Amino acid sequence: MKQTIFSEIYGAYFRIVSEVLSKQAASENVINDIIIKNGFADSVLFVPQKLLPQDDNSDWGLLRKKDGKLISVLSHKPVQIMTALQKMWLKAILSDPRIRLFMTDEEISKLDKKLDGVKPLFTDRHFHFTDRYGDGDDYSSEEYIQHFRMVLKAAKERKILDIQFTSGHGKLMRGCYLPVKIEYSPKNDKFRTYCFLLKNGEVKKSGIMNIGRIDFISETGQVWENAVDMGDFPQKSHVDIKVTAERNAVERFMMEFASFKKQTDRDLETGECKIRLWYDNQNETEVLIRLLSFGPVLEILGPDGFRKQAAERVKKQYGLLHN
Amino acid sequence: MAGFSELIKNFEKTRDYMRDFFIYGFKVRGEFSRKSSRTYDDEKRRAESWLGEYLRYDDSIRGRQISISVDSGHIYENPLYRAYYSKSFTDNDIKLHFYITDILQDNAQLTLKETVEEIDERFGVMFEEQTVRNKLKEYAEEGIITAKKQGKAAYFSLSADKCGDILNEFEGLKDAVTFFSEGGHFGIAGNSIMKAAGLKNNIFLIKHNYIVHTLEDILLPDIITAIDEKRYIEFRSFSAKRTDDEGRDFRAMPLEIFCSVQTGRRYLAAYIPEQKRFHAFRLDRIKKVVLKNACPDFNIIEEKFFANKPRCFGVSFGSRHEHGYTEPLVITFRTDEDYILNRLEREKRCGTLVNNNDGTCTLTLDVFDPNEAMHWAKSFIGRIIRIEGGSEAIRKKFNDDINRMYGMYCNETDDIQ
Repeated sequence: MKQTIFSEIYGAYFRIVSEVLSKQAASENVINDIIIKNGFADSVLFVPQKLLPQDDNSDWGLLRKKDGKLISVLSHKPVQIMTALQKMWLKAILSDPRIRLFMTDEEISKLDKKLDGVKPLFTDRHFHFTDRYGDGDDYSSEEYIQHFRMVLKAAKERKILDIQFTSGHGKLMRGCYLPVKIEYSPKNDKFRTYCFLLKNGEVKKSGIMNIGRIDFISETGQVWENAVDMGDFPQKSHVDIKVTAERNAVERFMMEFASFKKQTDRDLETGECKIRLWYDNQNETEVLIRLLSFGPVLEILGPDGFRKQAAERVKKQYGLLHN
Repeated sequence: MAGFSELIKNFEKTRDYMRDFFIYGFKVRGEFSRKSSRTYDDEKRRAESWLGEYLRYDDSIRGRQISISVDSGHIYENPLYRAYYSKSFTDNDIKLHFYITDILQDNAQLTLKETVEEIDERFGVMFEEQTVRNKLKEYAEEGIITAKKQGKAAYFSLSADKCGDILNEFEGLKDAVTFFSEGGHFGIAGNSIMKAAGLKNNIFLIKHNYIVHTLEDILLPDIITAIDEKRYIEFRSFSAKRTDDEGRDFRAMPLEIFCSVQTGRRYLAAYIPEQKRFHAFRLDRIKKVVLKNACPDFNIIEEKFFANKPRCFGVSFGSRHEHGYTEPLVITFRTDEDYILNRLEREKRCGTLVNNNDGTCTLTLDVFDPNEAMHWAKSFIGRIIRIEGGSEAIRKKFNDDINRMYGMYCNETDDIQ
C-alpha cells in the first residue's frame, strides 16, 4: 500500500470546499471569507470560478443557487475521515516516550487497541540523532510528567502556579508564575516554559524556565484574567557577519542557521556573503560559540560588544596554543 | 501570467525551489539558471502565495533577491507544510470525493453499480463505472472507505473513524497531536489531522527548528518501508558542490535516517553493495526513491552497521578502507569552570571523557573520521589546551585556523583583557 501526504484529499482546496458545504446556505462573501481563511494568497482568484455555479457548467457541481443563496447539493455535511496514513502516524507517536506527557498509560493503551493492526509510520528504530545532547529530560519520571501536565494545563487555562525551581545559575527561586508557552528543543531534548513572574497581581518580569528544573509546583487557585501580551519577549538582538566561499562555508552556514531570521547579501565576485542574523538575547552565548565553530571562514563584524566577546575567546585560545 | 495555477502536480520541482528560497536567500532570478524563467516566476508566485508573510525581498545591484526568512523558534505552524496542501486534481476527483462520501453516509454499504446509480440519481451526473471503481479503490487504500467482498460483489462503506471523534475520545490526544505536529517526525501528517479537526496550536514552540526538513519527508515512507521489508532502493543523489541537474544513480540498502539537530541536515545511512561500504547521503539531495528487491544479506549488513555506528562522530564512516587505521583524536580542555565540564559531558557523543582533576580534562574520540569532530571542537575556542592524534593535517588546520582568527580579531584589539 502506497500512501502519500501529497494528495488532494489533504489539500487546501478540498478543505475550503468541505467548510463551504458544511454551511446550510452561504453567500459569496461568506465563501470568500472561508477561502481567505483556508486557502493560499491567490485562492480567491481561482476557487470561486469552480465552486460557484457557472452557466456553462464548468464548475464542480457542488453548489446550487436557491433564493439568492448558495446551497450545498449534498445531503449531509462532509465528513473528515481519519485516513490510513494519519492512523499510522498516530500509531507512531504512541511509541514516543514523550506521549506520556500528554496521555495516561490507560488512554495510551486504549488508543493503541483502537489502532490494532495499524503499522506505525515510523519507529525509533528508523531514526538516529547524531548530535543530540546527552542530558535530555527524563520523560519516564512520574514527577516530571506531573510537572509538565500542570504547566501545560496552566498555559491553556491561564492558571497561576506556585513554582520553586533551580535556575541555570544554580539559584533556588520561588514565586507565582503564569506559564504562557511551552518550548521544546530537539537539540537539548528538553522542554521549557515561557512564563511571567507575578507579584501583587501584576507582571513583574518574564523568563524561561526549564521544566526539568522544577522542584515544587502547585496551583494557587487563581486565574489570570487579563490578556496575555508577549510583547517583545523574548528580546532580540542582531549580529552582522561575513562568510567566505571557502570550505563550502556559505551553504553550511545557511543550513545550520536556517532556523534564524536573517538578511543576506552576496558579493558575486568573491562569493562572500554578508548576513545580519537576529537571535534571542538569552541565546547569545550559544550563538557566539556556534559562529566561532566556523573558524576563520566566518567573521563576526559587529556589533562591537559581540565582536569583542569573540576576540576574547580567540585571544585566549591563541595564548593556549602559543604560550 | 496566463496558465498559472496555485496547485502543483510535481512536488519534486517545488521542493527544489522552496529549499533554494529557504537556504539560499541570496540568489536572484538570473541565478536559478537551471530552470526556465517561466518556471522561476511560477514557483516564486507559489512561494509568495503560500508563504507571503515569511518572504523577504531585498533589492541589490544584481536584482531582487527573494528569501524565506522565518524565526522558526517562534512560529506555531511550519509554513512549508502548505506545499503539501497544494496537490492538483481534476474536476472528477473533487466531485467524486464529495459525492461518494455523501451517499455512503446514507447507505451502510453499496456496490460499485449502486454507487454509480446513486450518484446519477442524487446529483444528476453519470460517471463511467471504471472512473468510480478507480476512485473507490483509491479511497479504500487511503482508509476513507472499507471494501468487503460478499460472494462475487464488492461492497463499499464509509469508514467510521472520524478525525474529530478520535481526538475527542482520548483525553490528552489533542495536545499530543498538536505538539508532535511540530515537534515530531513527519509532523505534516499530524498537521493534516489538526486541519481536519479544526485544531490550532497556540502553545507549543520548537527551538532549533529546521522547518525545511518537512520537504524531505516526502521520501520517508518509501525509505522506511524498504528498511522494514529489508529491501534495496534506487535513487538519484545530487552532489553538494555541483549545480547541474544530472545527479548520480545509486542502489543501496537503507538502514537508518541520521538527524543532525545542530547542523540542520538529515541523511540516509545506507549500504552501497557495489562499493561494499556504508555511506550517509544528504536527504535534501536525494530524489526519486524507488523500492527494489529484497536484500538477502540484510541482517548481516545491519549487524555490521550497528557495530560501526558508535564510531561515527557525526555521519561519516570515514575512508579507512583507503587510508587504513586512523589514530584517535585526543583533545585536552581547560575546565576551570564547572559548566565546561558539564558541556563536554552532555556533548561528547561517543567520546571518552576523563577528568584530570587539575582543571583540565581529556576527551578521546576513537572515530572513523576525526575531522568531523573539529567543527564542534571549535565551539570550545578559548578552552582547548592541545590536540593530539587524529592526523597531522587536522592538527595543522586547527593551528592555522586559530592563527588566522587571531589575525582577524585580535590585531586591532589591544584593549582586550
